[in-house]
Amino acid sequence: MTNSTSQRLDLLDPYTVAQLGGIELVARGVVEGFLAGLHRSPFRGFSVEFAEHRPYQPGDELRYLDWKMLARSDRLFVKQYEEETNLRAMIVFDASASMDWSGSQDRLTKLEYSKRLVAALSLITLRQRDATGLIIFDEVVRDAVRARARSGHWWTLLLAIDRLVPGGGTAAEPALRMVTDLLRRRGLVILVSDLLLDRALVLRTLQYLRHRGHQVMVFHVMDPAELKLGGPAEARFRDPETGASVTARPRELRQVYESTVRRTVAAWRAACRGGGIDYHHVLTTLPFGYVLRRATARRTRLG
Amino acid sequence: MISFLQPLALLALAAAALPTLLHLLGRRLPPVVVFPAVRYLTATEREHSSRLRLRNLLLLVLRTLALALLVLAAARPVAQLSGGGSHPPTAVALIVDNSLSSRAVVDGALTLSVLRAAGRSVLLRLAPEDRLWIVLADGVPRRLTRLEAQAVLDSLRPTPLRLDLTAAVRAAAAAIAADPLPLTEVVLLSDLQASALSPQEPLDMRVLALEPPRAPLNRWIDSAWSQPRVWSPAGAVVAALGGAGDGHATTVRLAVGANDVSRAVAGAGEQVVLSGNVAARGWATAVVQLERDEFRADDQRFVALNVVPPAKTMATEGAGRFVADALAVLEQGGRVSPGDAVVLSDELGPTTTIVFPPSDPVLVGALNRSLADRGISWRFGQLLEGEWAITGAVGAAGVAAVFRRHRLLGDSRAIALAGGDAWLVREGNVVLVGSRMEVGWTDLPVSAPFVPFIDFLVNQVAARESWVLSATPAEVVELPAGTTALSRAGESFAASTGRMAAPLVPGVYFLTAAGGDTIGALELNYDVRESRLAAADVGLLRARLASDVQIMAARDLARELFSAARRVNLVGLCLVLALACVVLEFAVASSRGAGRALR
Repeated sequence: MTNSTSQRLDLLDPYTVAQLGGIELVARGVVEGFLAGLHRSPFRGFSVEFAEHRPYQPGDELRYLDWKMLARSDRLFVKQYEEETNLRAMIVFDASASMDWSGSQDRLTKLEYSKRLVAALSLITLRQRDATGLIIFDEVVRDAVRARARSGHWWTLLLAIDRLVPGGGTAAEPALRMVTDLLRRRGLVILVSDLLLDRALVLRTLQYLRHRGHQVMVFHVMDPAELKLGGPAEARFRDPETGASVTARPRELRQVYESTVRRTVAAWRAACRGGGIDYHHVLTTLPFGYVLRRATARRTRLG
Repeated sequence: MISFLQPLALLALAAAALPTLLHLLGRRLPPVVVFPAVRYLTATEREHSSRLRLRNLLLLVLRTLALALLVLAAARPVAQLSGGGSHPPTAVALIVDNSLSSRAVVDGALTLSVLRAAGRSVLLRLAPEDRLWIVLADGVPRRLTRLEAQAVLDSLRPTPLRLDLTAAVRAAAAAIAADPLPLTEVVLLSDLQASALSPQEPLDMRVLALEPPRAPLNRWIDSAWSQPRVWSPAGAVVAALGGAGDGHATTVRLAVGANDVSRAVAGAGEQVVLSGNVAARGWATAVVQLERDEFRADDQRFVALNVVPPAKTMATEGAGRFVADALAVLEQGGRVSPGDAVVLSDELGPTTTIVFPPSDPVLVGALNRSLADRGISWRFGQLLEGEWAITGAVGAAGVAAVFRRHRLLGDSRAIALAGGDAWLVREGNVVLVGSRMEVGWTDLPVSAPFVPFIDFLVNQVAARESWVLSATPAEVVELPAGTTALSRAGESFAASTGRMAAPLVPGVYFLTAAGGDTIGALELNYDVRESRLAAADVGLLRARLASDVQIMAARDLARELFSAARRVNLVGLCLVLALACVVLEFAVASSRGAGRALR
């Protein structure tokens, strides 16, 4: 019924986990582990109208166990009820060139990390029968998958994630605007990006989504090497998106650079919090389970 | 005003450009690093670029300054403080070189007068609190007041002495070092002859030296000697000339008494033979003279002559055929005349006898008994065979070899040795020779020096023993036994056997014994090193005298005097500032840019 901690993929180093298999396998393992670690199911929304049985999953509340079924078949089932209003979630995924970078060979790139995170998030939402869609963007919207709640929809999402190729620049507003077209009802918007973009513009768009009644969650993905400046004594640092470069001596700038990044992250956090947006700063070395747990901690729908 | 004691070190100031060069070289082609968060970096640069530029500029300036200060320290900077004419009490050693060479005339002026004038300038700079030592040609430091020193300078005359400048500076340094005054100065007023320096480690001190007058062109008589030592009555004086080889010959004259007896023409570096014939018998003074030049003291040299008639000599049959033939040659040349005043024989005669060992060894015993009867302590000893060289005062005979000899047994000094044993000795009027003059005994009879050797035996060893000594003024000489007085030109100085200081005036001094007999002569001439007037350069002076010898004109010397007391050594300051720059540079470099300002 439960996995030991050492076997839970959601708590392992992301790079190590990624070596175990493809995105699908990793996402499943992570989600299983994540759900096993919860003392209560993230799935709320049970209503009085019985819909069907489903096998017990770790984390499900025991009150929904069908004791009679357990007595008859000696198997654990929970009773699932028809929700009156299903949640619709839209994941907005940044696939710009800046995401395809890692500060070390022993770490996943931000893009690869985000792919697995998005796969896990979508699996969680789909398992609770929430319709889930996906918008992939760089400087334009590269791909869009409408929100569906079908059980096989996760594979559609995985296919879109798996085939994406990192692009050029970053412009999140078109993708976020597209959300309003794809989510007619109030839903959950999840932005996964390194946020190397125009903050004011993006924040305005996110606020707009909030005004439309959507819940908004932002995953700010960063490589640890972006927090602490390193490299040779003097180097020309080139932006892979714009090609712009800056010559600097890391030793001289290290502290002030760290301060700048801290201030930037703090500014994002403060701006999001002020606008009722959930903000999560995610390093690519952080186990997926921690991220999911932190993300679901305050989300009624996600956990 | 700042000056540098090692100005050549300033060339290393180019090294101060190293930080700039390294900075420029280091700016070439930094590696490209792909970094998505360039926007954060750009923001950081934008906010702190001016601070970073200032910091980098500060680092560059500090590094350059540190290097420049180290180079300046190596150049030993000193700052001259303006203190007017006053100075702290100082112990001053004033060396005035009134040695023989100070008689040289340069541009119409005596060298000593130039030195004296400079000395007066130095005395004028002295304050009543200063202590003064004067060192003259005798090399002895004397503590004088300024007035006493003034009087000494006024009455100063060139001496016939030679001054060793190295010893004089050391004596002066020792004198002022013993003085309680902490500040010292050594002033050297000299013609700075290179020949006056002796090879010693330089002292670690400053010596202010007067720029010497230009050395005049000078010729001198390097050496002169009688050839042969005894004239009978003819002979020659050989003279070697020294001086700069200017290609001009000069007249060399030989005078005996008031008469010129010979004259020749020779150039510097040449040797000339001046032959003569002197009718008067006895000791005489010969003078070799050159034409006068700017330095007259060394234009003449004195030689003692001993003029005697040929010795009346004969050889017995036992002396051998070669000896008889050699006497015949000497008789033809007028070196000997027939007679029995000196007998060459293999047995002891009644008069002066030169005894060769008998050809029959059986007779040696009888000969030794005769020697004993005559009161002679020497004996003919064991007959030895081998091959030995002759050593000692035997002239050209020294090239000959001895194959057979009797060991001469005795305890007085031998004239010549063979194989470490006495071979030629004299006692009283008996001369013993260890070998017969025959081919089986020695190769002398068949060699060229044989006749001169017999001449030497007869005229110097047997007949007329005399001493001729050579010395320079005031030099300590050892007089021969029996000497009671020295006489020259009618003057007589009491003397006794043993060591005494030679007189100061050059000339020939005759050694007289009790009863008025002349037993030898002392040739007193100036030290020839004083004739070499070429001045030493500053490098040689710093190698032999002191590490900091400064040569300057009289006016500069008077001004430079006591400057050490008003001089501040800036080496320490430069090093401290350089260290401060290094520490500051380390602090700035360790400050990690503008990080602290943000915290």
